[in-house]
Amino acid sequence: MTEPIDILEALLFASDSPVETATIREVLALPSAEAARTLVEALTARLRDEGRALQIMEVGGGFRLVTRPEVAPWLVKLARARTRQRLSRPSLETLAIIAYRQPVSRPEVDAVRGVNSDAVLDNLLERRLIRIAGRKDSPGRPFLYETTREFLVAFGLRDVADLPKPDGELIIPEPPAPEGEAQGELAKELAGAADPSQQDPGPGGTELASRG
Amino acid sequence: MTDVAAPGLTVRVEAFEGPLDLLLHLCRTSEVDLSRLPIRAVTDQYLAHLESVQFQDLETAGSFMVMAATLIYLKSKLLLPPTGEPGEDELDPEGELLRQELAARLAEYARVKTLGAWLAGREAEQALLFGRTTAELPPPEEIPLQDLSVHLLTRAINRLIEDQKRERPREVEPNPISVLERMGEIMSLLRSTWSLLFSSVAGGDRVRAEWVVTLLALLEMVRLGQARARQSELFGDIVIERGSDVPVGVAAGETDDPAPMPEGEPA
Repeated sequence: MTEPIDILEALLFASDSPVETATIREVLALPSAEAARTLVEALTARLRDEGRALQIMEVGGGFRLVTRPEVAPWLVKLARARTRQRLSRPSLETLAIIAYRQPVSRPEVDAVRGVNSDAVLDNLLERRLIRIAGRKDSPGRPFLYETTREFLVAFGLRDVADLPKPDGELIIPEPPAPEGEAQGELAKELAGAADPSQQDPGPGGTELASRG
Repeated sequence: MTDVAAPGLTVRVEAFEGPLDLLLHLCRTSEVDLSRLPIRAVTDQYLAHLESVQFQDLETAGSFMVMAATLIYLKSKLLLPPTGEPGEDELDPEGELLRQELAARLAEYARVKTLGAWLAGREAEQALLFGRTTAELPPPEEIPLQDLSVHLLTRAINRLIEDQKRERPREVEPNPISVLERMGEIMSLLRSTWSLLFSSVAGGDRVRAEWVVTLLALLEMVRLGQARARQSELFGDIVIERGSDVPVGVAAGETDDPAPMPEGEPA
């Protein structure tokens, strides 16, 4: 019962946050991170082959032991409640903007959404899905927001690169400038700053290409 | 808008989060190319929609109005085309730039909406998976600083303040002194002086129990003829004087007082 694979199972069972490869390696005194990964794979296979109700998920830079979706109905019954309070559409959209453009300030989020995002940001902060990453070096020094590990866990993502590639580039319009001319300047700058090599413009990308 | 504090929205607008949302909806229902935003049609529809809406929240109303103003401005430019031939869907360079910007913002918003929907699907999937949310293990000695944020700190301090407010300070009552003890005290004081003030015995802090005990002690002493009390005015301080019919020596022998004896008169 003290085979490394059993210990790993116990580690994942007892931990509330994803366990990183480095931690597994350290706790089990494994020679390399590769060995830790191999062990995780072995445990994954064992759980699958034995038809267990648990599975290993790679989220937020580590590994997590979670139940299989098939048993969810009974767990919901056990909890006597709906699984989790779902995020509203504004919250999800705000989260999407932050996930793609982090760190990003509230005026920038507002500019994309076209409405004030104060309440939504508060809600996301409260749920620890985002956190304050610092202040932007712009007038008013607004807070910058970024997504947290809880965000990755909540959405079952290994890291933000797991997010789908946006259809074209995500451009944040500058907060409204006082003069129309200045706005035009900014638009040109923004269009000029767009680096096509980094992006993978889909069908929607051409719309933006015509901007510059 | 379910979890957002936006009490000002009427039912009609609730489906639309903001001006971009509404504009996008209008563009999609009329199946137009976002990059060639048809200003005329969209402006008319947008304004028609706004007319049927009542805003209670100024900020939300403002964001819708700003968009309306932009659209009207663009439409006015269409009516006065640079070539002088009205009817052409042509704008001057500034107007064209504005239109392009608006189109870009719309395209951007459309993308964000798509991503939001993707995240919603992802969230629904994850809701079926249950994992541990609180650890069985004792918390690590070192708090990972990268998990902390200003927001969490302010929340912690606010909660602390709230807790403090609820928990009112408890007053610790000193052991009330007995009437007999107070009598002894007054007696021992009267041994070294002819008269003293009630307030100096009862304590200037006006602790109610203390004053009551002192008054009772004084009254008892007056009754026994051990002291006399004089109050020159209503609510004024009471002057306590040594009772004439009690010899000093007797009083000293009767009381077992811890008060220091006057100097030069060892017990």
